[in-house]
Amino acid sequence: MLKGTRTLHIDYSKCIGCETCEAVCKFLHDTPRITMTRTTEGIMIPLYCKHCDKAACMGVCSRGALNRDRDGAVVLQPLLCRGCETRNCVMACPYAAFFATCSGVAVAKCDLCASRRDIGLGPACAEMCPCGAILYVDRDEVEALESEESRKAHKRVMDHIRPPRCSR
Amino acid sequence: MNFGFMKAESAPPNGREVAVIGAGPSGLATAGYLACLGYQVQVYDKLPKPGGLMVFGIPSHRIPADRIQRGVRDLERRLGVIFRTNTKICCSAPMHEEEGDHFACDILSLNDLVDNYDAVMICSGSWKSRKLGIQGETLKGVYSGLEFLFPIRAIQYASTNVSVPDVRGKRVAVVGAGHSAVDVVDSAISLGADKVSLLYRRTAKEAPCGSYEIDRMREMGCQWLERCTPVAIHGTDKVEGIEFRNAVSGEQETLPVDVVVGAIGEFPTPPFQKELGLENVRRGEVRWLNMTALDNVFVAGDVLSGPSKIGKAVYSGLRAARSLSNWLDLKAQHRESEYNFDEDKMTR
Ligand SMILES: Cc1cc2nc3c(=O)[nH]c(=O)nc-3n(C[C@H](O)[C@H](O)[C@H](O)COP(=O)(O)OP(=O)(O)OC[C@H]3O[C@@H](n4cnc5c(N)ncnc54)[C@H](O)[C@@H]3O)c2cc1C
Ligand code: SF4
Repeated sequence: MLKGTRTLHIDYSKCIGCETCEAVCKFLHDTPRITMTRTTEGIMIPLYCKHCDKAACMGVCSRGALNRDRDGAVVLQPLLCRGCETRNCVMACPYAAFFATCSGVAVAKCDLCASRRDIGLGPACAEMCPCGAILYVDRDEVEALESEESRKAHKRVMDHIRPPRCSR
Repeated sequence: MNFGFMKAESAPPNGREVAVIGAGPSGLATAGYLACLGYQVQVYDKLPKPGGLMVFGIPSHRIPADRIQRGVRDLERRLGVIFRTNTKICCSAPMHEEEGDHFACDILSLNDLVDNYDAVMICSGSWKSRKLGIQGETLKGVYSGLEFLFPIRAIQYASTNVSVPDVRGKRVAVVGAGHSAVDVVDSAISLGADKVSLLYRRTAKEAPCGSYEIDRMREMGCQWLERCTPVAIHGTDKVEGIEFRNAVSGEQETLPVDVVVGAIGEFPTPPFQKELGLENVRRGEVRWLNMTALDNVFVAGDVLSGPSKIGKAVYSGLRAARSLSNWLDLKAQHRESEYNFDEDKMTR
């Protein structure tokens, strides 16, 4: 069912932490759904939703507010979500890609620029990244895009959001 | 970079013309947004190529130049944006005082633009280098971060009046620990410097570039001197050494070097700083978001905020562009009074 659909993929080894992706997202959606964080080593990195094939968030939302749309994007339906206090999705996401908000809907997440897709455009962050670090690509192609550097850089990001257990 | 990301095709002309001063990320984002709404946009830049610091400051291994040029071409071909390069928009201050001024062949005044366009957006960035403010700073071999980096990129476009700093086989001291300091270190090493030392007045933990970058530079052979504050540059006709206070040892030391680069930041030099009331725009004491004291003249990017980042400049350019078109729309209907500045400031 997900065959032939596209998702976002960031090659962190090409990313220079310039914040353009977050800026463009914020301009379009007010609460950005791709957000910058600074690791303890001082690298700026964007956190984002990968619209996973097996999306943990979809499984934990008790209201069924997270669903797959026709293009394979995991989208939040604000009418169903509104008011939920558990924030199960925030906790379940392995990539820290849910963002708590203080407006009506409890959380914000990437919908691959749904309203832009409606008129034939792609996600804006990928359009504007100066380094070509963000791609909107076929799910099947993601693996082939990885390189030694990108895997290393990705691991640095993961170690930051899920610190390896202290060995002692 | 697809600056015209708001639309897939071109837009029907809306009959309005806007001039953008400066083709850095904020100016290009403004141009793309307005062109997607049907504005005829002309972008003026004193340099021979659009891109601003993305092309003339940040080393090319970090940002692939062709991505920016492709975005510029798309603005030209699809959205009809016209670029006027080598054209400086004149300020009240004398010429030749910032990096890159010598490229300007044509000079126009801001007033000309104000008279000839429906609106003007100033996105001229932040190009004047902060000085170290110590003795010996005028010696040959002392550079600011941009003085050092600019010619490395600019030499591709004109070889007559720029020359790449000669550091081959020399000892280089870089002062600062921001991104431009890192870029200077990288460039000095790739230009064949014999030894590069980085001096920073605080610790690695506090460095804006982060400890990852510092570790990386050290692995490349750069000497890292933390809690070291330069107090003087020595030499008779050119740099021979830099004296600094080492807060770790509590001593005054002198490092023999041939080149000193003070990469401690830049500040903005907009045309007509005072007349435009930029201080008020910075403080948010204006009646219209990002509009200066002159009607129809807007401002965005690093010229307003001081040195920031590409993303911040893009965001500022987009918001100012939206504000500009709101202004012209409401003004055309004589409904300016309906604008709610506080709302715009908070919710967007
Ligand atoms: C060495 C260095 C490294 C950096 N590294 C990074 C990084 O890794 N990541 C990051 O996000 N940011 C980085 N930055 C910051 C980033 O480049 C700037 O924040 C950003 O480019 C600002 O965009 P801008 O559009 O406001 O101005 P600019 O990019 O400065 O563009 C301004 C343009 O206006 C033109 N101009 C100025 N005055 C006039 C005039 N009077 N008439 C006509 N044209 C004029 C200039 O020629 C220039 O092209 C770096 C900056 C430097 C100096
Ligand atoms: S726009 Fe691209 S380079 Fe900049 S922070 Fe986002 S992913 Fe990284």
